[in-house]
Amino acid sequence: MATTTPTTPTKVQLKVGQRLRRQEDPRLITGTATYVDDIKKPGTLYAAILRSPHAAARIQALRTEAAAQAPGVHAVFTGADVEGVGPVPCAAALPGLRVPKHTILATNRVYYVGHPVAVVVASDRYLAADALDLIEVDYDPTTAVADPEKALAAGAPAVHPEWPDNIAFTQNTVYGDPNKAFAAADVVVKQRIVSQRLIPTAMETRGVVAEWSPGDKQLTIYSSTQIPHLLRTQLAIMLGLPENHLRVITPEVGGGFGSKLNVYAEEALVGFVSMRVNKPIKWIEGRREAFQVTIHGRGHVDYVEMAAKKDGTITGMKIKIIQDLGAYHQLLGPLIPTLSVLMLPGLYNFHDAEANVFGVFTNAAPTDAYRGAGRPEATHCVERIVDILAAKLKMDPTEIRRKNFPAKDAFPFTTATGLAYDSGDYAKPLDKAMQIVDYRALRARQAEARKQGRLMGVGISTYGEICAFGPSPATPAGGWESATVKVEPTGKVTVMTGASPHGQGQETSFAQLAADAFGVPMDDVVVLHGDTAVVQYGIGTFGSRGTAVGGTAVHLALQDLRAKCTKFAAHAMGVSPDEVSFEGGIFTSPKTAKTVTFQEVALEAYVCRNLPPGVEPGLLVTRFFEPSNFAFPFGAHIAVVEVDRDTGEIRIERYVAVDDCGKVINPLLVDGQVHGGVAQALGQAIFEEAVYDEYGNLVTGELMTYAIPKAHHVPEIETERTETPSPVNPLGVKGVGEAGTIGCSPALVNAVVDALAPLGVTHIDMPMTPQKVWRLIQERSQA
Amino acid sequence: MKVRGEQTLPLEPTAAWELLLNTDALAQAIPGCEGLVPLGPDEYQMKMKIAVASIQGLFAGKVRIADRNPPNSYRLHIEGQGKLGFVRGSGLLSFSPDATGTRITYEGEVQVGGLIASVGERMLDVTTKMMIGHFFNNLAQQAHH
Amino acid sequence: MIPQSFEYSAPESVSEALRLLGSVENSRVLAGGQSLIPMMKLRLSGPAHVIDLGRIAELHYIAQTNGSVRLGAMSTHNQVAVSETLRRSCPLLAEVAGRIGDPQVRNLGTIGGSTAHADPAADYPAALQALRAQIRLVGAGRERTVSAEDFFLDAFTTALGEGEIVYEVIVPADAPGLGSAYVKLQQPASGFAVAGVAAQVAVSGGQISVARVGITGVGAKSYVAQAVENALTGRPATAATLAAASRLAAQGVEALNDLYAQADYRTHLAEVATRRALEQALALAR
Repeated sequence: MATTTPTTPTKVQLKVGQRLRRQEDPRLITGTATYVDDIKKPGTLYAAILRSPHAAARIQALRTEAAAQAPGVHAVFTGADVEGVGPVPCAAALPGLRVPKHTILATNRVYYVGHPVAVVVASDRYLAADALDLIEVDYDPTTAVADPEKALAAGAPAVHPEWPDNIAFTQNTVYGDPNKAFAAADVVVKQRIVSQRLIPTAMETRGVVAEWSPGDKQLTIYSSTQIPHLLRTQLAIMLGLPENHLRVITPEVGGGFGSKLNVYAEEALVGFVSMRVNKPIKWIEGRREAFQVTIHGRGHVDYVEMAAKKDGTITGMKIKIIQDLGAYHQLLGPLIPTLSVLMLPGLYNFHDAEANVFGVFTNAAPTDAYRGAGRPEATHCVERIVDILAAKLKMDPTEIRRKNFPAKDAFPFTTATGLAYDSGDYAKPLDKAMQIVDYRALRARQAEARKQGRLMGVGISTYGEICAFGPSPATPAGGWESATVKVEPTGKVTVMTGASPHGQGQETSFAQLAADAFGVPMDDVVVLHGDTAVVQYGIGTFGSRGTAVGGTAVHLALQDLRAKCTKFAAHAMGVSPDEVSFEGGIFTSPKTAKTVTFQEVALEAYVCRNLPPGVEPGLLVTRFFEPSNFAFPFGAHIAVVEVDRDTGEIRIERYVAVDDCGKVINPLLVDGQVHGGVAQALGQAIFEEAVYDEYGNLVTGELMTYAIPKAHHVPEIETERTETPSPVNPLGVKGVGEAGTIGCSPALVNAVVDALAPLGVTHIDMPMTPQKVWRLIQERSQA
Repeated sequence: MKVRGEQTLPLEPTAAWELLLNTDALAQAIPGCEGLVPLGPDEYQMKMKIAVASIQGLFAGKVRIADRNPPNSYRLHIEGQGKLGFVRGSGLLSFSPDATGTRITYEGEVQVGGLIASVGERMLDVTTKMMIGHFFNNLAQQAHH
Repeated sequence: MIPQSFEYSAPESVSEALRLLGSVENSRVLAGGQSLIPMMKLRLSGPAHVIDLGRIAELHYIAQTNGSVRLGAMSTHNQVAVSETLRRSCPLLAEVAGRIGDPQVRNLGTIGGSTAHADPAADYPAALQALRAQIRLVGAGRERTVSAEDFFLDAFTTALGEGEIVYEVIVPADAPGLGSAYVKLQQPASGFAVAGVAAQVAVSGGQISVARVGITGVGAKSYVAQAVENALTGRPATAATLAAASRLAAQGVEALNDLYAQADYRTHLAEVATRRALEQALALAR
């Protein structure tokens, strides 16, 4: 390796911290990305799934002969044919949890509308759909119950006949002495708060392509999933295949939001069918199917109580959580409300609390993690009840919050529920948000508007969240993440992450880390993920963990690899490694005034003309990062709204989001996450609700009735940040994927309640549809 | 879904009662009905061809008459299913004389399931009312003849 | 979302389309496809034969002829929305067209298709009722012209007979001084009107001389709000007059009921939308 004398040093601008456009976007924007439906294997057959139109019924007879003989049909399988396939897994290990046997096709009963009953495979998807119409099923309908509170009532129909009370589990947790705190309180406020069932609605529905290779007994599954490795392990168990005979590939994923953090019946079913018919099989979920069977989110009815002193000091909190679990457990379903319990205290300093969780079966689609997963529900409860308390005490909502924040020097701060909040300065984002909206002037303007009879409101939410999932003991399947970084002989860098980014932009942010580590341009870095044959085992992307856990693994691998590069460089320059400095892709030895480039080191590491003693050839490092704690981002959101008294419509005048997610690698990505999160929470706050009728039909069954926010529904979101580094990982990052969904809904609801406060309104449940708001105004105006 | 309403037929209650129990008249009045075939006392097999907007579908099912209280009231049960989904309904029809003939009030419940329930929320109320309206208009026309 | 198989024809003349329509069992006419295609994909509709009018050049025009504007059935919503002729002579129709669905729907959907489909919440019918539009229908060897009021009979039910298609829609050019407006309160998922009110107002000597109001989305069919019009005509052009008249917006109408808006709320929205449409139209009247 040649060494040279340095020329004039130029100051290198690091990529980390820069607002860089996403490396992923050109292929997405130009339509050249590959999604599951773009996978075209020669000889592919298409699967179509017959689904139950009944929410509860016994299957008395099932006749598939006509379908099996229909044109183009290769096979039809029913529940009896797939008995050998293991059940859809649930990883929630809660004490006493009742786990219904979740077969991949129904056997003698169906439990919800959309329950898969049979699968047809045909030479094209039209013929497969035609053949579905030829399957005859005799159902004997039984009474269904789709409302969790009705399911708990005496005499309710049993979703699973073996458990007539419809209770999947209960969990009682007491922290400190809540009864004493409530008895001693000057004031207690109570509210029933609903976080309604939502449909995640990823732009790309789920899809699976399975290809069985009989010669080498290898099954390849392409699936739109957030967790390729966990899926592979689980599918190996379900299908009885050795795990190393199974490869899961996650091509481009068009949105997940938790709905693809799962192991679904169809993933095993399509694999099973491919093995049986010896052909590649493709199944692409329709939108109506997605609405009925892909997991739903939220589904809470919460009874919340808060105790306080006259001066607004919060002294205790109690909650009863009724979690609508649907008919079955998916991967994590029953765990989600337990996250709500952990997050219950929000950002407030009190130590006595009690939580009672009831996980309830209903004849409806399973609920599971949806962006925020348990934390939006908890945050909504605490941020609503704090506002209710403030109103009762006639305190300003910002004052009551400030009063109950732990001091900024109190970190790590142990919460009522035993979490150790890593770092924080909660007043800071609140101050900043108040300054942006000019809070005092805003309240003056509101007073003026009220005099004119206008319904203007200001809503505050100071949220906290649990991110960076998480320490392994606190997660069901490992909470670490992995990274392999290799430097190719030409000096190009390949990062393989066990996280499975699907829209978060980590092909960009991880490339930023790598570019800085080696002083190479962004385009010299490729980030690979989502192929179990290429990437070492990993956990996946969910729970705002991609950067804090996955990124840290990348960082550690980069550090190790740079250290190894330094050894090569030092050896070449004839100095010891601690005498080498590195900047902008150049190793320098100040003592000898020599330099070698990173690219020269890369080549030497493979050609090994002059291998340093004790150093192995090659530049490849794999690291696993096990976090010692979660990370706890926080922020303050302020919404300004005006309610149209005539129609009940809500106009959002301003939306300010000040988020603290620790150190920021790429502000553009952080803004994007906040925008998307706020838009989704706005959907929950104003538009969305999965409605089942009294017979268990999902009547918001498609996008003509289920309203997700459109571009014109979303106001300009003014984003700002404060930066409190996390001590949990060396990057100081926390996580931001779910901040918007967690912080936003209470800000909007608090704003609308504030707008309606002159009418005596103290609470409104989501979604705040114009009809609901109008009825509230009517009732209160008459009262 | 609850349904209720009333219609007037230009007939005496007894005649109205008889018309509403006459299977030929019912077959002609039920929108899209392609005939009623007796299955037993007060029970008929029915085929229906629904056509609303571009929606088309065949339904096969049963009609059953119960709780006869001539000429005051009876209960009508209808169920049908087809590729578009299924319908189950039950309603009490009550007959009372009024100035121009007989007032028939109906009150009942219709359960709709399957495809039409999952995509038809916006249309269900209006099409149900329309079909009930057609039913009584068809009967009224027969009453005039 | 996969339709049943069907035969497809794309005739190039109206006479050929009518011949097919008369000779093929279970056929449906396809105009812009914004209602029919989704229904076919959901398998709610399974015609044996689809007759696509898209290639019939003679159905594509927007033309002014003495005192009226004629729109060929295959004029897309977007063509109607941006038509200079309409902006000049009948801005209400252009405004309504611009409020239908989203850009994709407006680039494909047609005035003839929407009219023939007669969705109770479609936008066009409000304007066609207010404008006292005429709809020209053609069948094999016959044609007739029906007023909007006589054309829309019930939800998804029109005067269109077996073997007939909508050929054109004819709207009168605005008389000088008319102000017009369309106010639509919409379902956020579908964009369909929950209450859509098209209004035209003219004022003479401080009194309302012309008032025309068409309403969609409220009842099973669009309608002329006769009671509102009567309560306006000849009255002083004041806010009080408009407010009082608007209260009659849903008089005698059995309002639709769905999850998003139950009948009482919808009835109320009819009043609000009517008042707002009248206020806006009045502000534009000269």
